[in-house]
Amino acid sequence: MSDVLARRDRALSPEETEELLRDRLGDGLQRTVLEYGVFTVWVEQDAWVQAATLCRDEPLLAYDMFDNLFGIDAREEGFDVVAVLYSTSTGNRIALRTRCAGGRDEPTCPSITDIYRGADWMERETWDMFGVDFPGHPQIGPRILTVENFEGWPLRKDFHLASRAAKPWPGVKEPAELDEDGNVIERVPHIGDAPGPYDLDKAMAEQAQAMNPRPELDGPEDDDDADDEPAEVEAGPDDDPTVSGAEKAEARRKAQAEARAKKAAERAGGDGDEGAAQLDQDVYDQLIAEGKSERIARSKAKAAYIKAQRAKEGDA
Amino acid sequence: MSDLETTERVLPSNAPGEDVAFEILGDGDFPTAEMSLSIGPAHPATHGVFRIVLDLDGERVRGARPVIGYMHRGFEKLAEYRDYRQIAALTNRHDWLSGFCNELGVAIAVESMLELEVPDRAQWIRMLMAEWNRILNHLMFIGSYALELGAITPMFYAFREREDIQHLMESATGGRLHFTYNQPGGVKIDLPKGFLKRSAEISKVTRERFDDYVDLVLGNEIFQGRTVGVGPLPQDVALSLGITGPTLHATGIAEDSRVTEPYLKYGDIDVEVPLGENGDAFDRFYVLLHRIRASLDIIDQIHDHMPAGPVNSKLPKMVKAPEGAIYVRTENPLGQLGYWLESDGGRTPWRFKMRTPSFSNVQAIPYLMQGALLPDAISILGSVFFVVGDIDR
Repeated sequence: MSDVLARRDRALSPEETEELLRDRLGDGLQRTVLEYGVFTVWVEQDAWVQAATLCRDEPLLAYDMFDNLFGIDAREEGFDVVAVLYSTSTGNRIALRTRCAGGRDEPTCPSITDIYRGADWMERETWDMFGVDFPGHPQIGPRILTVENFEGWPLRKDFHLASRAAKPWPGVKEPAELDEDGNVIERVPHIGDAPGPYDLDKAMAEQAQAMNPRPELDGPEDDDDADDEPAEVEAGPDDDPTVSGAEKAEARRKAQAEARAKKAAERAGGDGDEGAAQLDQDVYDQLIAEGKSERIARSKAKAAYIKAQRAKEGDA
Repeated sequence: MSDLETTERVLPSNAPGEDVAFEILGDGDFPTAEMSLSIGPAHPATHGVFRIVLDLDGERVRGARPVIGYMHRGFEKLAEYRDYRQIAALTNRHDWLSGFCNELGVAIAVESMLELEVPDRAQWIRMLMAEWNRILNHLMFIGSYALELGAITPMFYAFREREDIQHLMESATGGRLHFTYNQPGGVKIDLPKGFLKRSAEISKVTRERFDDYVDLVLGNEIFQGRTVGVGPLPQDVALSLGITGPTLHATGIAEDSRVTEPYLKYGDIDVEVPLGENGDAFDRFYVLLHRIRASLDIIDQIHDHMPAGPVNSKLPKMVKAPEGAIYVRTENPLGQLGYWLESDGGRTPWRFKMRTPSFSNVQAIPYLMQGALLPDAISILGSVFFVVGDIDR
C-alpha cells in the first residue's frame, strides 16, 4: 500500500498536466475545466485518439487504467463523448471530452479501442444509447443492451420516456413542483405511511385518530341493523357450550355493538323510551326472574318482540 | 486437430518388471470437432439472465462471446426524470447485492455539488453499513462460487452469517436488500438502540467463523485443483480493460478507492487491501474471502470511532444541483462504482452515467476463457464475480 501512495509525490497537478497536453496537442486542446475535483480536458475531434494515446504512453501522465466512456446529449450541438482515465501510479484522474462530428444527425467519434481494451463495450453502449458511431471499432453491433430490433436512441433527449409521456407522475404532484405562484407544492403524506421510532409512531397514531374520529353510531338505525339477525344474539355468548369460538366472538361483538348503540341512544335522549318500547316486557321480566343478566334479557326480549311484530305483519 | 502421424510408447511406472507398454497414436490429442455452445440466458452457472456463447474445439474454448442486455432496465434514462433524492431508489437496484454501497455514490455526488455538510455521525454510520453490506455481498459469492464448483456446504454456512447481518441492517434501515437509507445530507434515521452492541457481537462471531471458510473452501484440494492456475489475468490487461475490485486485487494491484481516494472517513482508519499474486481464479477467491476479514477489521475500528450527534442535515425543499459535472467513485464490493452526474441546474440530472464494476469486469471473460478447457470455463465465469443487474443496469 505504502509504495502505491509514495509514488503520488510525482503526480502532476492539473495545471502541469494542461501545460504538457497543450505542448503535445497544440490547438487540439480546446480548454480545461476543473470542477468538483474532476479535471476535464476538452479536445478537438481530430485530436481525440492522439490525446488518449498521449495519456497512456506519456511517462509523466501514465493513465494506465481505463475507467469509463460514455455519451452526453449536448442539445442542438449534437453529442459529447467523455472518456475517464485513471492512473494507478499517480492517483490522478482525467476526463477527456470531445464534441462529436456530424451534429445530431450522424454523430461520429473515432474509436480508442486500440489504445484501451475496455473502450470496446463502452463504445458499443454509447452507440446503443446515443447512436454515436465509432469508426475503427472492431464490431459496434449488434445492440449491446437494448434488444436487437430496438428502434431509436434511448438516451437522446428527444427520445421521450414512454411512461412519463402517458402519465406525468404517478402521484398527486411531482416532488418539489411549483404552483402558479412559484411556491413549492408540498405533498401531504397520507396517514399510516410513516414508519419511525415509537414516539413518532404514537404521535402519528394520535394525529390519525384526531383527524379520523370513529364514526358516531346512530342509535335507532344501528338497532335495526342488530335486529336483522336476532337469532345469533339470542344464543347467548356465554351460555351455550356447543357454539364454536368464532360464533361466540361474533355474538360478543354484536352484543357490544348493541350496548354501544344503546348508550348512544341514551345520550341522544328521548330515544330511551322508544328503545324500551321495542321490548317484549313479559319475556324480559321472565328472564330477569330466571336470573339472566340484564343484557341477555334485553336482547332476548327484543328478539321476541320482533318475532311477534313479524308474525303480526305476516297475519296482516 | 490431432496429428496421427506420430506415435509414442509409454511404460507405466506402476508395473515395474512387467512387459506391458501402451502405444499412443498421434500426438496425444483426440480428434476433435468444432462447435458453438450457447450457455444461458437462463443457466444456473450464470446466476442471472446472462448468456455466453463458447466456440469450442473439442473441450478447448477457442473464443467466448458474452451476450448481455437481458436485464437492461434503463436506469440512466429513468434517473433523468427523477428528483435527486429519488435516484437512490434506482441505484440500489442495479447491483442488488450491494444496495447500500450503490446509494452512497449518489448521495456523495449530490452533497458535493450542493456543498452540503454531512454530520460526522452520519458518515461513520454510512461506513459501518457499507462494510456490512460488503460482507453480505462477499458471503453470497463465497457460497455461490463454491456451489458452482460442486461444493454445496459453504452456501449454508454463508447464509447463516448473511441472515444475522441482514437482521442487523434491517433493524436500522428497514430493508434487507434495498435499503434506501442514504439521503443527501446524511442518513434517513439514527441507529436503533442496541445496534452497535449487536453489531459488535456479530462482528465477533463472524470473525470466529471466518476460519471455517478458509478451511472449508481454500484448504479444499478439489477447490484448489479447479482454481489454481485457471484463468490468469495479467496486470496490464486488467488495467486496460478497467477491471477493479477483487479481480484487480488478485493480480497484485492495490487500487482501492477507500485507500487511494478516501471518501467518507476512510482516511481516518486503516484499510487493508488483501492482494493476490497470479490473478488466477484461486487468487480472486482468496482476495474475496480475505476482504471479509479486512471489512471486519474496519467495522471494529468504526465501533471505536462512532461519535454522537445528528445524522442528517436539513435539505432545502427543492434539491437543485448547480450546473456542472461531478464524478464520484466509490469502492463497491465487486469493484469501483463511478457515477458521472451532470446537472444543467434543473431539478433532475441532465446525465447520470453509472459506471458499474460488473460491466467492466465481465469484459475480461473473453480474454480469460481463450484457450481454457470447458470445465474451467465455469470456474472462470464464477471467479469474475458479477451481478447481472450490475452489467445491464
